[in-house]
Amino acid sequence: MSDGSRPMIALEAISKTYPGQSAPAVRELDLHVPAGAIVMMVGPSGCGKTTTLKMMNRLIEPTSGRILLDGEDVTAVGGDELRRRIGYVIQQVGLFPHFTVADNVAVVPRVLGWDRKRITARVDELLHLVGLEPGQFRDRYPRQLSGGQQQRVGVARGLAADPAVMLMDEPFGAIDPITRDRLQDEFLEIQRQVAKTICFVTHDLTEAVKLGDRIAVFGPGGVVEQYDTPEQVLTHPANDFVAEFVGSGAAVRRLSLLQLNRLELDEVTVDGVGATNGHPTYRADADGRAVAWAHLPGTGAGDLPPLVTVPLTGTVYDAVDVMLEARAPLVAVVDDEDRPKGALRWEALVRELPTKGRP
Amino acid sequence: MGFTEYVSSNFSSLVFYGQQHFLLVLYSVAAATAIALAAGVLLHTSSVSPPSWSRPVRAGSRETLLLVSSAALTIPSLALFGLLQPALGIGIAPSLVALTIYGVYPVLRNTVAGLSSVDPAVLEAARGMGLGPAWRMVRVQLPLAWPVIVSGIRVATLILIGIAVVAASVSGPGLGQPLFTGLARLGAVNSFNQVLSGTLGCLVVAAIYEIAFFAIQRLTTPRGIRV
Ligand SMILES: Nc1ncnc2c1ncn2[C@@H]1O[C@H](COP(=O)(O)OP(=O)(O)OP(=O)(O)O)[C@@H](O)[C@H]1O
Ligand SMILES: [Mg+2]
Repeated sequence: MSDGSRPMIALEAISKTYPGQSAPAVRELDLHVPAGAIVMMVGPSGCGKTTTLKMMNRLIEPTSGRILLDGEDVTAVGGDELRRRIGYVIQQVGLFPHFTVADNVAVVPRVLGWDRKRITARVDELLHLVGLEPGQFRDRYPRQLSGGQQQRVGVARGLAADPAVMLMDEPFGAIDPITRDRLQDEFLEIQRQVAKTICFVTHDLTEAVKLGDRIAVFGPGGVVEQYDTPEQVLTHPANDFVAEFVGSGAAVRRLSLLQLNRLELDEVTVDGVGATNGHPTYRADADGRAVAWAHLPGTGAGDLPPLVTVPLTGTVYDAVDVMLEARAPLVAVVDDEDRPKGALRWEALVRELPTKGRP
Repeated sequence: MGFTEYVSSNFSSLVFYGQQHFLLVLYSVAAATAIALAAGVLLHTSSVSPPSWSRPVRAGSRETLLLVSSAALTIPSLALFGLLQPALGIGIAPSLVALTIYGVYPVLRNTVAGLSSVDPAVLEAARGMGLGPAWRMVRVQLPLAWPVIVSGIRVATLILIGIAVVAASVSGPGLGQPLFTGLARLGAVNSFNQVLSGTLGCLVVAAIYEIAFFAIQRLTTPRGIRV
């Protein structure tokens, strides 16, 4: 590992050939998942992502190779006991339809013999975490939940016994784009709080870029073509396969990787404090919040565009979105208190975006 | 003698035959259910032998058992009672055994159907959480298959109520007694009343079972899957 720390999950030369098949579904795969990282597994259909994931908790027994969990060789330990230590979430969710939400979440803690009080507290804590009000949802049955709510219960169930490792196979695959986007945001928020090591299979490169600390791009025949940070995969594809998989949208996707606080923004000044020095100038209200543009270099007073803002924590993608929406040639980048910290101009996008180091 | 008059003067013996009939069916259905459930469950999942070779063996035995038990249903009931007579004599024993044989198929078929209709995603999730085969069977598969199994038991019960009449041919208990006596002396005094009371008695027994099954189905179906 580049950071020198011990990987939480290590696959060493792992292979799987399904019975009755000549070619392996996964071939001599090495994959190290650092502790606390989210590793996204992407790639075309049938290239062995699910097989690899299921070998990590030995739902599928590898034909050869070794699996290390936190340094311990788990290739031969009892499968059920291993799986109780690893959270598992699948696309079809698979909640027990005859159990209430609370009972679904409590399954593994019960099997592990936790006492009643601890289980109840844990269930409520987890339902809170995934954004389901316990009082309202605890006693419902799965069929009384929407797809997105079921998916959250699935995540809570996976987290129940506080496993260090979570395996997720397209957990947001069957959910509409808007809900998925929200679930992804919540997922990142949850991960900030629980800091698990997560392996996450997805078909959606945008999702991989958004959620992943690292991306493993799988190619046909169950090999990893590239295993690197989202930035590297998008900007420096390891080979033609990855380049093609990342596709023509790479330049646009990169925009969503670049946070505004890493850009050298255009200076802006507030109206009425002396010379403009050729900077964009805005009128502010009593709290220092930008209200409208007062002066833009090269623009007549009658042609001033509306003042639109985007938070400093957003990405270039968000800024472009706001500009397109408002048909404005520039956007004010604001801090938490809505005070402008700079501006991003449309023309700057098509030139090399000047960046600075991580804040 | 009119029918009502006949019933009121023979009421206690009719109730007695009815009770016998009810219990005969109850015991046979219970035995058939025990056999079919055990076979269905064991042949559905087993962790005793390696899955690779046990799966075809299990599927094979399951199909064979289904085939045999369905073939048994086609044996004319009179013949089966007769065939068992040399081995088991007459009376309760051959009656119970014959009825149990007839009862296995509906329960087994529904057990197999119910167990295999459980959503594979639910089972994969259970397996992925490290829940063993016994836990999955007892806590997930059986409860989810239960409504289907109960309807199989109910069908078996209805079939057996009719067939149990034939038990009288080997001097077995139940409503077959008045019915067969009446049939044997058709035309004689009260013979028609005997046949009619036996037949209506079966309907009453069936009605009682139907009510019982309605209650059982409501009470034992897990709340989350009640429609
Ligand atoms: N149980 C199985 N028996 C035989 N072959 C299998 C089995 N499961 C998967 N395969 C094969 O192994 C290969 C890899 O399958 P896998 O499910 O890992 O792909 P995947 O990358 O998850 O695909 P997808 O993106 O469609 O989910 C495929 O060619 C598939 O046909
Ligand atoms: Mg898959």
